[in-house]
Amino acid sequence: MGEGPVISLRDVSKVYRQGSVDIHALRDLSMDVEASEFTVICGPSGSGKTTMLNLIGALDAATSGSIVLEGRELGGLNKKELSELRRDRIGFVFQAYNLMPVLTAYENAEMVLWVQGVDGKTRRERVMGLLEQVGLKGMEDRRPSELSGGQQQRVAIARAIASNPAVVLADEPTANVDSETAETLLGLMEELNREQGVTFLFSTHDPQVMERARRVVRLVDGNVASDERR
Amino acid sequence: MKLLRMAWRNLWRNGRRTLVTVGAMTLALWAMVLYTSLMQGMLGSMESTLLDVELGEIQIHADGYRERPSIWERIEDPEALLEALDETGLRSSARLLGGALVASGEASTGALLKGLRPERDARVSDVHERLDRGEWLDPADGSGVVLGYRLARTLGVDVGDELVALSQATDGSMANDLFQVRGVLQSLSEDTDRGTVFLVEDAFRSFFALEDGAHQVIVRSGEGQELLAATGVVEEAAAASVSGVEVRTWRDLLPGIANVLDSAQAAVQVVAFIVYVVIAIMILNAMLMAVFERIREFGVLKAIGVSPRRVLALILTEGALQAALAIAVGLLASLPTLWFVVSRGIDVGQLGGTAIMGVSMDRIWTGAVSPVTIAGPVFILLFIVGLAVLFPAVKAARISPVEAIHHQ
Repeated sequence: MGEGPVISLRDVSKVYRQGSVDIHALRDLSMDVEASEFTVICGPSGSGKTTMLNLIGALDAATSGSIVLEGRELGGLNKKELSELRRDRIGFVFQAYNLMPVLTAYENAEMVLWVQGVDGKTRRERVMGLLEQVGLKGMEDRRPSELSGGQQQRVAIARAIASNPAVVLADEPTANVDSETAETLLGLMEELNREQGVTFLFSTHDPQVMERARRVVRLVDGNVASDERR
Repeated sequence: MKLLRMAWRNLWRNGRRTLVTVGAMTLALWAMVLYTSLMQGMLGSMESTLLDVELGEIQIHADGYRERPSIWERIEDPEALLEALDETGLRSSARLLGGALVASGEASTGALLKGLRPERDARVSDVHERLDRGEWLDPADGSGVVLGYRLARTLGVDVGDELVALSQATDGSMANDLFQVRGVLQSLSEDTDRGTVFLVEDAFRSFFALEDGAHQVIVRSGEGQELLAATGVVEEAAAASVSGVEVRTWRDLLPGIANVLDSAQAAVQVVAFIVYVVIAIMILNAMLMAVFERIREFGVLKAIGVSPRRVLALILTEGALQAALAIAVGLLASLPTLWFVVSRGIDVGQLGGTAIMGVSMDRIWTGAVSPVTIAGPVFILLFIVGLAVLFPAVKAARISPVEAIHHQ
């Protein structure tokens, strides 16, 4: 998959119907994300950041336009194929961590590999390595309720990268943690980006995140207002 | 395995709710196992009274006897018929039937006299074991009779008392004789209780001046033998040995009771179903709450690529685990109860002897146990739980990840 952008959006629009009113969340948005980029999508509330991540993450369908992930046009995939695409090629880090409360840190991080049908031994090796990498060695058996917000988000990051996805989509990943924890989390994601080439695409309001990004795309009213590479 | 672990842990996130749900399922299962056992016991006892004591599975009469019972309408050569039936291996015995007026002191009433050979009759009927007091017939005691429970009460007689019988003999003379009560039967059926007098064959023949023939031959089908197959064998034996007879199964003789017994099993299942529907509503409510509380989690699961089928399986597993717990505890709790109702039974007091469709209920109501006693309630519970859990499970499986993740 080395050739061309990992993600390519062309003239993507998303219209939500609210009562009798059409809400244009995205308007003919076009943009590419290259492999190993560390990109931040920023913009005011309602500018379309989360909508854009939902569309790229195959969680929602565009009203018009084309979204291509690693050469596959998302609009042409059925529900099963989209589910498999999310499982194998996309990692998610949510604002509210969204870990399974009944599973331990280890089991949460292992979840995607289990769904993929990876054998137990390989899963164990991979997940133990990941938890060590995100600084949670020794906390494998703790449940989310026994972890701090920052630790939970680390588990979420480990879960997101466990299957070596093409891209990790992170929707305001530092919104629920203090600035010190946010700094640590950003450092961790930067390290994963730098050392393992993981492609990150964030949506954020957080200036701290924007400062660390190597590319900042600003959305206004559902379209790209600026695209700055550093 | 992971799914099972997740499902198990999910159950205990709200332990109290799970315990209440499992408790309700357990109680329903326990109650339904007990109810099924008692109903099977009652139906079994009714059927046993009917077949083992009263009718046998198959009866042979002279043509036309059943429509117009008469002392003169009889099977001409019952010995040949019994011999032919003996050769088939089926148990059989002949009875003589005749109406008479029986009296003691100032009391009198009409009764049906049944003449039999005690030894042979014991092959087809357990009536000799159903004595309330006194003794069964003895061929050596020609004047001894055994009475139905209510008949003895009507006449005010008891064991050892004398009884006068009056009728018309087959030779046209007045038949009258003095008998002595040897025994009184337990309450068996409306007909036997109110108006049956058993006496030995020779005494019957002497009383009615009846030299030969018999009015009824009772035949028992073999163990596990289909009634229709047995009937075919009896018909062949009858056709080969005597003429002018008709063969009828107990179902032909008492179609109403046969239908009641058949439908009673279905009625048990219907009651079980109704009880379970109430439980199902509770399970549905609990599972819907459990699903709505976890909408975001299902959204996340689907977002990270967990298939709808796996989400469905997760909820179904949670329902199955609760049902399994209820079945384990419910069956454990059922064991001592079943032991009690089967071995000791419930004393129904004054209700004992009450006739249901003409068949008397025993004073001690015992339960019965068969694979159906357990399998029936368990199967219906599983079916109902499956139905109740399916809706929330499908709802969780079909949830849109993007809506679920942002669900507040």
